[in-house]
Amino acid sequence: MALRVDYEGSNDVGVFCTLTNSYCLVGVGGTQNFYSILEAELSDIIPVVHTSIASTRIVGRVTVGNRRGLLVPNSTTDQELQHLRNSLPDEVKIRRVDERLSALGNVIACNDHVAIVHAEISQETEQALVEVLGVEVFRVSLAQNALVGSYCALSSQGCLVAARTPPETQRELAALLQIPVVAGTVNRGSELIGAGMVVNDWVAFCGLDSTSTELSVVESIFKLGEQGAPTSISNQLRDTLIESML
Amino acid sequence: MTTFYNFKRITVVPTAPELKDVVLSKTQRKTPTVVHRQYSIGRIRAFYARKIKFLQQTLHDKLTQIITEFPKMEEIHPFYADLMNILYDRDHYKIALGQMNTARHLIDGIAREYVRLMKYADSLYRCKMLKRAALGRMVKLLKRQKSSFEYLEQVRQHLSRLPSIDPATRTLILCGFPNVGKSSFINKVTRADVEVQPYAFTTKALYVGHLDYRFLRWQVIDTPGILDQPLEDRNTIEMQAVTALAHLKAAVLFMMDVSEQCDRSIEEQLHLFESIRPLFANKPVIIGLNKVDIRHRSELPAEKAALLDQLEKEGIPIVETSTLTQEGIMTLRDRACDELLAQRVEAKLQAKKITTVEDSVLNRVFVAYPVPRDEKVRAPFIPAGVAQKRAAAKKAAAANAENSMDVDDQSVAAFRDENTRRLEREIELEMEDDYILDLKKHYLLKNPDEKYDVVPEIWEGHNLSDFVDPEIQQKLEKLLKEEELLEQAGEYESDLDSDDDETKEKMKLALKIREKEKLLTLETQVNKRLAGRAGSRVLSSRKRERSMSRLEHELGELGVDIDTKKMKNLQGQCAKPQLGKKMKVGRSRSLSAVRPAPRDEIAIPDPEARHHAVKLRNKAMRGLRREAKKGEADRHVYDLKPKHLFCGKRGNGKTDWR
Repeated sequence: MALRVDYEGSNDVGVFCTLTNSYCLVGVGGTQNFYSILEAELSDIIPVVHTSIASTRIVGRVTVGNRRGLLVPNSTTDQELQHLRNSLPDEVKIRRVDERLSALGNVIACNDHVAIVHAEISQETEQALVEVLGVEVFRVSLAQNALVGSYCALSSQGCLVAARTPPETQRELAALLQIPVVAGTVNRGSELIGAGMVVNDWVAFCGLDSTSTELSVVESIFKLGEQGAPTSISNQLRDTLIESML
Repeated sequence: MTTFYNFKRITVVPTAPELKDVVLSKTQRKTPTVVHRQYSIGRIRAFYARKIKFLQQTLHDKLTQIITEFPKMEEIHPFYADLMNILYDRDHYKIALGQMNTARHLIDGIAREYVRLMKYADSLYRCKMLKRAALGRMVKLLKRQKSSFEYLEQVRQHLSRLPSIDPATRTLILCGFPNVGKSSFINKVTRADVEVQPYAFTTKALYVGHLDYRFLRWQVIDTPGILDQPLEDRNTIEMQAVTALAHLKAAVLFMMDVSEQCDRSIEEQLHLFESIRPLFANKPVIIGLNKVDIRHRSELPAEKAALLDQLEKEGIPIVETSTLTQEGIMTLRDRACDELLAQRVEAKLQAKKITTVEDSVLNRVFVAYPVPRDEKVRAPFIPAGVAQKRAAAKKAAAANAENSMDVDDQSVAAFRDENTRRLEREIELEMEDDYILDLKKHYLLKNPDEKYDVVPEIWEGHNLSDFVDPEIQQKLEKLLKEEELLEQAGEYESDLDSDDDETKEKMKLALKIREKEKLLTLETQVNKRLAGRAGSRVLSSRKRERSMSRLEHELGELGVDIDTKKMKNLQGQCAKPQLGKKMKVGRSRSLSAVRPAPRDEIAIPDPEARHHAVKLRNKAMRGLRREAKKGEADRHVYDLKPKHLFCGKRGNGKTDWR
C-alpha cells in the first residue's frame, strides 16, 4: 500500500521521516498531522517515534537504519540519544558514528540485508554498518549521482532509483542488492527518490504531489499492492508510463 | 508540451456608446482642466494637444487589447479554427477584427493631423475648437463600428462557454445518429451531466467529460447527432460533430441503435458509417451496439446480422452495450482506450529520436532483475500484525459495503474502534492551544512507572551521559554476589579484635600518632594566625618544613620504623583518589576578534604616500583654518525667507503657490 502524505506543506517526506521494518522516526513538527497519519497506519505494529537529531527535524536525511539497528550522526545530543534508546525496542541497536559526511541518510541507502553507500565514507562507518545493521556494504554511485541515499529508495523487495540512471547501472545494482531495480520519479517528476518517499517491506509513503502513475510504479516495484509485481512495470504499466512521459 | 486553450480570459468588449463615454470621461479626468486666456499661446496649444493625444492613446490601447486578446484563426489549432468558422463565420469574424484594426489606424491618423493643425491656432478659442473637432471625429469612428463591437461581444460570450477541449490529449469521440445513446454513454463513463431526452438533437453542442483509466486522464467528447446527408447540407449543429471528427486525433466510438428505436434502421446507420468513414482514417474505430436490453444482436434478422458480421470481418470491432443495464459499457470504454493508447505510444516512440527516448523513458520501463550471486536468502521481514490488520480492514470494508455506508465513514471505521490508541492529531484538536507534545508517552521501559522520572542532564558542570556505565547493574549484582560468598565463607566473622600483643602495640602506636597529629594541627593553626598578624609575607613565608628527614625523625620518636624506600611505596596510596573523569569545566578562553587596520592605513597602505597625503591636506586646510572659515562639511542653514517669495505684486492664488 502506497500512501500520499505531506509534512507541513512539504512533499519531501523522506527528509523528515525514517521508516524501517521495526520502527519509524518522525521529526518533531509544529502540528501532528503527518505524525498521526503514520501513527494510524503503523503504531499497532511498530513504534512511531517523534525525535529530533542535533535539534533539527530532518531526521530522514541524517539517520540511517534497518530492522536491526540505527546509526545517528555525531552531532546527535546525549538527550536525543537517550530518548531514542527509551523509545525504540531493545533489539534495535543504536550507535552514534563520527562520519565526515554527516547526513547519513543522504550517503547511505540500506535494507535489512544490503547497504549501498557513497564512495567516500570512512572505514569506521562501514564497520558500524556491518556491526549494527548487519548488512553487506557496497560502495557505489548511481551514474552521476554520488548521493545514493538521496537518489534511491529500497526495501527488501525492490529498489527505485532516479529516473536518469542508465540500465547498466540498474543491472549492477540489482546484482548487488539481489532485488529488482527500476528507474522512476516521485512527486510529479522529482528525481530525489530518497527524499521524496519512505518505504519498508509492507508500506510506502510518498509526497502529496505524486501522480497515480508514480504511485503504481512504487506499488509494483516494492510489491505493496495485491496485484503489484515488478513485472507489471514493463507489461501493464509500460504504455501508461510512455504516454504520460513523452 | 501543448498550448492550453482557454478562451475564458478575454475581457468584455464594450458597446460603441459605452466605449465613447468611457474614453471621453477618462480624458476629462486624467488631463489638466484649467486654462486661461492670458497664458502664453504655446502653453494653451500644449494643453489642448495633450487632450487629443491622450484620447488617441486611450482608444489605441482599448482597441489593441481587443485585437490581441481574440484568438487568431491562423494561429490556433485547426479544430478550434474550424469550430469558430462554423459557429461565428470566419469571414465575419475576420472583418470585425479588421475593422477594429482600421479604426485604430484611422484614430492615430486623425490625432496626428489635429496635433499638427494645433500649431496654427492662434487663440485659446481656436485651439479649443480644434480639440473638439478632433475628439468628435475620433469618437464618431467608434460609433460607425457599432455592429462590430456588438458582434465581437457575442463571440466572446460564446467562446467563453465553449468546453475546454485539449486537442492534443487522449480523446474518445462519440458519434452517430441522433438519439442512439451517445449522451447516455458519456453520462455513464464520466461525471459529465449531459441532458438526455427521448427526442432527436437533444445535444446541440460539443460536451466534454473526463475519465480515469490506466492511471491516465482521458477526455470524452459527446457530439451532436449527425444525419446521413452530404456535407453541404449539414447544419451548424452537425458540423460541430464533423469538425471534432476531422481534426482531433482520437478514438472514435460510433454508437448504433440495435433496437432501431431512433427511427433509423440498421442499414441506414451503417450507411452513415460508410459515408463518414473517410473521417476515421488512421483512428481507432469501435462500434458500440447500444440498447441491447431491448433487442439483442442475436435476435436481429439474418440480413442485418450479416451486415454487422461483414463489418466485423473488416477489422472493426463491435461491442454490444446497454446504457440502461450498464452491460458492455466498460468493455467498450476499455477497448477504445487501449487501442488509442497503443497507437499513441507507437507513434510517439517512432517520432522521437531514439537517443532521447532511451535516455528519458525506456530505462524507466526497464526492470533490472538480479542474478543470484550466492545462496543467502534475503527475505522481506513483514510482522504478523500487518497481515492481520489488512485482513481486518478488508473484512470491515466488506461489512460496510453490505451496509452500504458512506465511503468516508468506511475508511475510518475500518481501522478505529475503542481499542485503538488515540491519535496525536485528535488530542491536538481537542486540546487546541493547551496541547503540548508528550515525547515520553510511548517509552518502552522495563518499569513503565519510570517513564516520567526526571533525569538530570548536567550535574556540577559534568554531563551525566559521559559517566553512564551501561553495565552498572551487572557490576552491582556481581559485587553483591561476591559479598555474599565472602560472608558465607566467614570472612567477616573472625573479628580482628585487640587480643594479641602485636595488635595491642599497634593500636597504642596508632593512638600516639593520632595525638601527635592533633598537636601538630593545633600548632600550625597557632602559627598561621601569628603569621597573618605579623604582616610581612617575606618574613613569614615558611621554609620547606616537610622534609623526609624530619618525618623520619619524628616518626622515629614515636617508634615507627621508616626509611625512604618504604615511603616511596606509600606515595601512590596517599595520593587523593580522583573522582570521575578529569576534565576542564567552564568556559574555554575566548579569542579576541581581529581588529582591522586604521582606515587611513587601509586607504593608502604605503606609509610614505600616506605621509605625503597628510602633508598635502594640512597645507590645503591652512588658509581655512587660519581664517576660521566654514568648510563644505560644516552645517549650513539656507535662506529661511527667500526674497523672491516674500515681495512683489500679488495676484491670483495664494502666496505659497507662487
